[in-house]
Parts: sequence; structure tokens; C-alpha cells
Amino acid sequence: MVKVDEKIEEAIKEIFSGDKPWVTIVWDDPVNLMTYVTYVLMELFGYNREKAHELMMKVHTEGKAVVSTGSREEMEHDVARLHEYGLWATLQRGDQAI
Amino acid sequence: MTDHDSDEQHGFHRHGDNAFVAEFSESEREVLINLVEQIIELLGERTDNHVDDPLAAMVGITTHDSPPEDEVLLRLLPNAYADQVDAAEFRRYTESTLRGKKYAHSMSMRITLKSSVDGIVEVDHDGANDWLGAMNDIRLALGVRLKVEQTSHEELELLAPDDPMRGVYAVYSWLGWLQESLIVALMDEAI
Repeated sequence: MVKVDEKIEEAIKEIFSGDKPWVTIVWDDPVNLMTYVTYVLMELFGYNREKAHELMMKVHTEGKAVVSTGSREEMEHDVARLHEYGLWATLQRGDQAI
Repeated sequence: MTDHDSDEQHGFHRHGDNAFVAEFSESEREVLINLVEQIIELLGERTDNHVDDPLAAMVGITTHDSPPEDEVLLRLLPNAYADQVDAAEFRRYTESTLRGKKYAHSMSMRITLKSSVDGIVEVDHDGANDWLGAMNDIRLALGVRLKVEQTSHEELELLAPDDPMRGVYAVYSWLGWLQESLIVALMDEAI
């Protein structure tokens, strides 16, 4: 039997998340309604109202929030959909400072 | 972002499982048609005059890789990357698709308004999403012109009575309220 401690678990996790180091960021915008941002996050990502509201509040109070994580292609898709509904979104590598 | 008090009196409300209804006066209907047609026209300005490769045009690759110079268009078709090279590359492959989707939202809103009888508009869930996207594009466009970014709502409310921007701000506020009423109606459905 092999013993897997937390460190090894973390290392294994990193190996498998190697293709998922990108993030989609939504930025605060003075025009978009708070309820609209919440609604769009629910519609596009299937988040429940609580989670969407929490992310919206983070955007509102901190100026930005990571709304999804995945491969570069997946994040490009997410950003395109957010742009379709007028949210101000960008993507970048997850290990870059935001 | 802004918060908006929803007025119970008018705006959209839910009818049954999948219908959202609003009643507009003739002047409100005209204002909405006028605004949405301006967005349609604006998005059309960004089409390619010369596409050398018809196959590229067919799959949605444009000759545009630089951001729009017009501030409003730049807000409607923003950069996806902070990095300018990545942003240009992404724009080249996706901008025409994004423009097409926004165009479709606006056309959907225009058709509902044009075909409305006695000012009564009815949309289903998908139609409501088209309306939300289209109304939001109008508000983004007006917001850029009103410089909402630098000016507070309190300042805008105190504009001189003869300032044409005062009227624009009134329309902008009304649209926010209308958009909010539709979101509230849609969220009720989600409970």
C-alpha cells in the first residue's frame, strides 16, 4: 500500500489541473445593475442565486472577482459569453497577479 | 455597478410559467425603437468593408484586430485580454461573432416592439434574455456618453434643466428601472 499524505495529494492535484490554470475575471462597471450581474452569472454559469450574489458583491466591493476557472479555451468561451451580455470581463493565467 | 429601486406600478411582470409582459405608451415604444435601432446601426458600422478571404469571412474571422476607436463601440466590443497582442488575436477570431450576437439581441427587441399591439409586449425566457442584453447595450452606450464613470448619479440628477444630457440621463434611468423590472420577474421564476 502506498501512503499518500497531503503534500503528495497536492502534487497529484497539480498534475491533473495542469490544463486548467486560466481564470475569467469580471470587473466592476458603473452602468451594470447589481441584479443584472447576479442574473447573468446565474444564467451563464448555472450558479445558484447565493453564489452568483456573492460573486457580484465581490465585484462590487473589491472591483473584480474570478468567476470561473479552467483551460484557456474554456475561459475564452466564458469571456465571449459575458461580453455578449455586456459584462466587463477578461481572462488571464491563474498564477498572474490580478 | 448600481442599485435600482424597482417600481411596482409598471415595467415587466410575469404571466404564467414563461411569459413576461409590459405595457408601453406610444412615446415609450417610440423611444425604445429609436434607441435599439441606433445600436443596430452602430454595430453595423463595424462590419468589414474588404474581406480578402471569403472563407475567413464565412467562419467569422475578421480583418479587425485593433480595438474600435469609438468609445461606445469599445465598451460594447471590449478587449478580452489586458495584453494587447493576445487581445488583438482574440478579437480577430471572435469580434464578428460577438457583434452578430449583439445584433441578434437588438433585432429581437426591435421585432417585439414593432409587432406589439396597443403597446403590449410579451416575451418568453429567451426573448427576455435578448431584451436584457439589448437594453444593457443601450445603457452601456448612454453611460459612456453621459460619462457615468466619472460623474456621480447625484451630479447627473442636478444637471441644468436646459442641458440636453438631462433628458438623456432620464432615459438612461428609466431603462435601468425597466431592465430591473424584467430581472425581478425572471428571478421570481428561478425560486
